[in-house]
Amino acid sequence: MSGALAIFRRELLGLWVTPLAWVMLVVFLLIQGLSFYSIVVHVSGMTSASIDSGPVQAYFGQSIFLLVSLLLVCPALTMRVFAEERKSGTIEALLTAPVTPAGVVLGKYLATLATYLAMWAPTLLYILILRNTGQIDWRVVGSSYLGVISVGAGYLAVGTLMSAMTQSQLTAFVLTMLVIFGLFILGIGEYVFDAGMLRDLSAHVSVLSQMDEMAKGVVDLRRLVFDGSLVVFPLFVTVRVVDSWRWG
Amino acid sequence: MIEVDRLTKDYGTVVAVRDVSFRVGKGEVVGFLGPNGAGKSTTMRILVGFLGATSGTVRVAGHDIVDDSLEARRAIGYMPESAPLYTEMRVREYLGFRAAVKKVARGERKTAVERAMSLAVVTEMADTVIGHLSKGYRQRVGLADALVANPPLLILDEPTAGLDPNQIREVRRLIRGLGESHTILLSTHILSEVEATCDRAIVIDRGRLVAEGTIAELRARRRADGGVLTVRGDRDQAIAAVEPLTGVRRVRAKPAEGEGLWRLTLALSKGTPDVGPVLEAAIAALVGAGLAVRDAGPSRATLEDVFAELTRAEPEADEEPEGAS
Repeated sequence: MSGALAIFRRELLGLWVTPLAWVMLVVFLLIQGLSFYSIVVHVSGMTSASIDSGPVQAYFGQSIFLLVSLLLVCPALTMRVFAEERKSGTIEALLTAPVTPAGVVLGKYLATLATYLAMWAPTLLYILILRNTGQIDWRVVGSSYLGVISVGAGYLAVGTLMSAMTQSQLTAFVLTMLVIFGLFILGIGEYVFDAGMLRDLSAHVSVLSQMDEMAKGVVDLRRLVFDGSLVVFPLFVTVRVVDSWRWG
Repeated sequence: MIEVDRLTKDYGTVVAVRDVSFRVGKGEVVGFLGPNGAGKSTTMRILVGFLGATSGTVRVAGHDIVDDSLEARRAIGYMPESAPLYTEMRVREYLGFRAAVKKVARGERKTAVERAMSLAVVTEMADTVIGHLSKGYRQRVGLADALVANPPLLILDEPTAGLDPNQIREVRRLIRGLGESHTILLSTHILSEVEATCDRAIVIDRGRLVAEGTIAELRARRRADGGVLTVRGDRDQAIAAVEPLTGVRRVRAKPAEGEGLWRLTLALSKGTPDVGPVLEAAIAALVGAGLAVRDAGPSRATLEDVFAELTRAEPEADEEPEGAS
């Protein structure tokens, strides 16, 4: 695993030493800041609020900004991980080092996940700001962050897979976006389909419902299992894809 | 150190490597020679485990490259063609990363990196971003990368490609030096490179192994097929004296440097086993005709000639038995 650790560190450096991560961070925080600002302005105008519709709940559970930022950030963070290495040929040096394909995939994926977490970290300030003016239910904050992390982790795994499928970063970006968008649309099906299997399926994968629930402090294990499978399955396929290049 | 048995790589549309077998012994410096597109890079990529073979086996340092891949790869320092590197990293950072990926123990990484940098002569660029380095330096960083884990075997794919003549000389000297402590397999399409750096050559053409041996053995494959004499005197007289001799097929005369000097090139007729007696007779005849002979000797086949001979499109005849069986 020391190989995976080395790759993890190099990937982090590769992300943060180039402008990409910083640009993404700025865009991400701009969107989040806008979202938070509008929510605070909205909530401060309300005369009464139920326990379930505070600013934290709105920020994590009801804001479309959150989805938009995930739709941009996750594909951008992962698009280069394999596509660039294959295009520039550095993959040859990487895969002939004594590391397993699983080690390579894991190292790269965890680096994008760590970067994703780093992007969320400044939003903790919002919670601190709210705490100065009112009470914070830390369990709700915890489940909300658990939500964005587990949803993001799945999207990043999808992005890692897409990056391994093509040598073009742009293609990887678009493909990842399409999958994330597809999952989102499928989730919308919850409000479209009549009761039945399709609707159950839609409700199950709906990121909107998931974030709505988790922002209210409801942690449904089935949601986490789904997110977990959205991490494990794409990464497993990525390992197979990396292994298959040998036979190209 | 390397044992390759009946290696074949079939891409579906092209067969890049056909039934190639060879050995590279410990401590040898072997040149892997062939024209562009002969299958050199494909073979090397199979040797280092980057590509899988369609059939055949490769063992490196006693480990099978497929079944025991990680152990085999640990024994190899590989430099891919044109040495692709992470351009956003500094040289020292990059080599530190490579040392870690290659499982150099944490405490030894720093010394390993410094050692590799000094061997490959890139120490003065240690803190430069790789993207800012010249091609020559990048090539040397690639070499330092191959050396960083101190592997017993180096596999270098076209280590001098794209370098200027001075850089080429430097890299060759480097490889010679490394050859004293490492087993090296390097590919090239330039013959003088093999002559300058290798003990032995393996020649591959269109995926087939066409020759293997020491440089001297390869040269001997094409024995001297003529002689060269420098004479002073009348050109036509000289030709007339030599042409009727037995064993001479053709004589050509070109003016040589110097007043009244001619350079005679003799081509031997078929079935003449040795150029020596023919040269003796030619000298006697020329002296007899009143010409002065400055020097005489067999025309030695250069490795270039051998190479051209070996890789010339051969009649497809030797392919037929395979197809028929």
